[in-house]
Amino acid sequence: MASADLAPRLAAYAASRMPGAVDVEVRDLSRISGGASRQTFRFRLAWTEDGVPRERRMILRRDPPASLIDTERRVEFEAYRAFFGSRVPVPEMIWLEEGTEALDLPFSVAAEITDFEAAPALLWTEPYLAAHETLARNKWAILGEIARADPFELGLDRVMPPPEPESCWVRELGMWEKVLDEDEAEPLPITRAAIRWLRANPPPAAQKIGVVHGDFRTGNYLYDREGGIHGVLDWEMAHLGDPLEDLGWSLNPVWNFKRNLAGGLVPDAVAIAHWEASSGLRADPTAVHWWTLFNCVKGQAIWISSARAWIDGGNREPIMVLPAWGMQNPQDRAILKVMGRL
Amino acid sequence: MKPDIPAVLAELAGLVARNAVPDVDPAERAGALSLSAALLAMAAEAWDGAAQRLVEENQALRTLLSEAGDRVGPNAGLAQAVDDDLRISTLSAANARLRAALIELHAAVEGDDAPDARALESRIWEELRLSTERRQMSAALA
Repeated sequence: MASADLAPRLAAYAASRMPGAVDVEVRDLSRISGGASRQTFRFRLAWTEDGVPRERRMILRRDPPASLIDTERRVEFEAYRAFFGSRVPVPEMIWLEEGTEALDLPFSVAAEITDFEAAPALLWTEPYLAAHETLARNKWAILGEIARADPFELGLDRVMPPPEPESCWVRELGMWEKVLDEDEAEPLPITRAAIRWLRANPPPAAQKIGVVHGDFRTGNYLYDREGGIHGVLDWEMAHLGDPLEDLGWSLNPVWNFKRNLAGGLVPDAVAIAHWEASSGLRADPTAVHWWTLFNCVKGQAIWISSARAWIDGGNREPIMVLPAWGMQNPQDRAILKVMGRL
Repeated sequence: MKPDIPAVLAELAGLVARNAVPDVDPAERAGALSLSAALLAMAAEAWDGAAQRLVEENQALRTLLSEAGDRVGPNAGLAQAVDDDLRISTLSAANARLRAALIELHAAVEGDDAPDARALESRIWEELRLSTERRQMSAALA
């Protein structure tokens, strides 16, 4: 469906969800580049209510026919809703549509958080360079807040099955190994060696069952020039598990952006200290190492599944090739680095 | 590189042609063409060295398998093959067979405390490190 066809159908859907609104109109609908697992559009919704014209900027995220990550949109939607208004900044979720009648594919609509940046590349330029320490403190403090949250109080156990503390690692490793088994297009000797090591050297049981964002990294939050963070995005892989999993993903060397710093911002030890202070949890070095290596395997599985979606013809968008070509070898080198083999 | 470069280039040709139509949304066109440019740059960099990399790596893997002797088991025949067909697709297929055999060999020796197994595992790790150097691209994302 081209953008021109999408706007009136989206407006009709919005009108059906806003009983008091008339003259509902979608304006300036435009696709945002990227979005390998959802098609993402920015638009302004205009309507009249009680005789007063109103307008709001919104984001539409629609499932593509096949995506980089196969995720449950309801899980993502509920994760955003659980943290809205908390110290974890997230956009307000407005509608979730799981049917295909309105826009051919399931979708969600959220309020747009405007006037901040998400692109990692900007962070290595002035004036952002001067704010790295503040940004890092905020980044890992927010990650700590996610770890500190009680998923049962938030009601997230209704949509995210909780594992036992001692089996978090088994479930996650098994799930991503299965992705590799099903999707790899060529043998992966480095990744397979890492998996064997992970199975032979399991981590300690989780200190608690927490919310795991699943993709908390530079590039998935909205930041300002002073190092403030105003939105944590891309909760598509959110689940319940060991909070150290998220810390390990943030320390995956592929997110260093060739700067040899966690997230390209600060040394690993500084990031870990911020996370411990905020979460109230301990980052046992052995466990952090295990979860960092695990996340290297998970990363490789994601890049591999991106290639598979393209090869099988489910999604021929160029964004699906970019991580397959541009991330697999850096991810292998990250595995070697974490295993002390580089 | 997977997906294979020729298949991606063919898809990009169609994408560029579709974006040559005047009424394409400018934001969609910008996104599609900037991603296409990044992929074309990667393909260009990989193109010249692809055959050399594969021949070199296949030879290194065959040497490793030969050194492993009886530990290679039914994969021993792979060590005797030669790359006499230099098409990338053929070299890649041979490379996949050899790397699959390497996975089996690696798994077999890493739990073995015998000195020759330790030495062989060290050489496997060294080859794996070298394999990532052969695949490095200036346009890599990380």
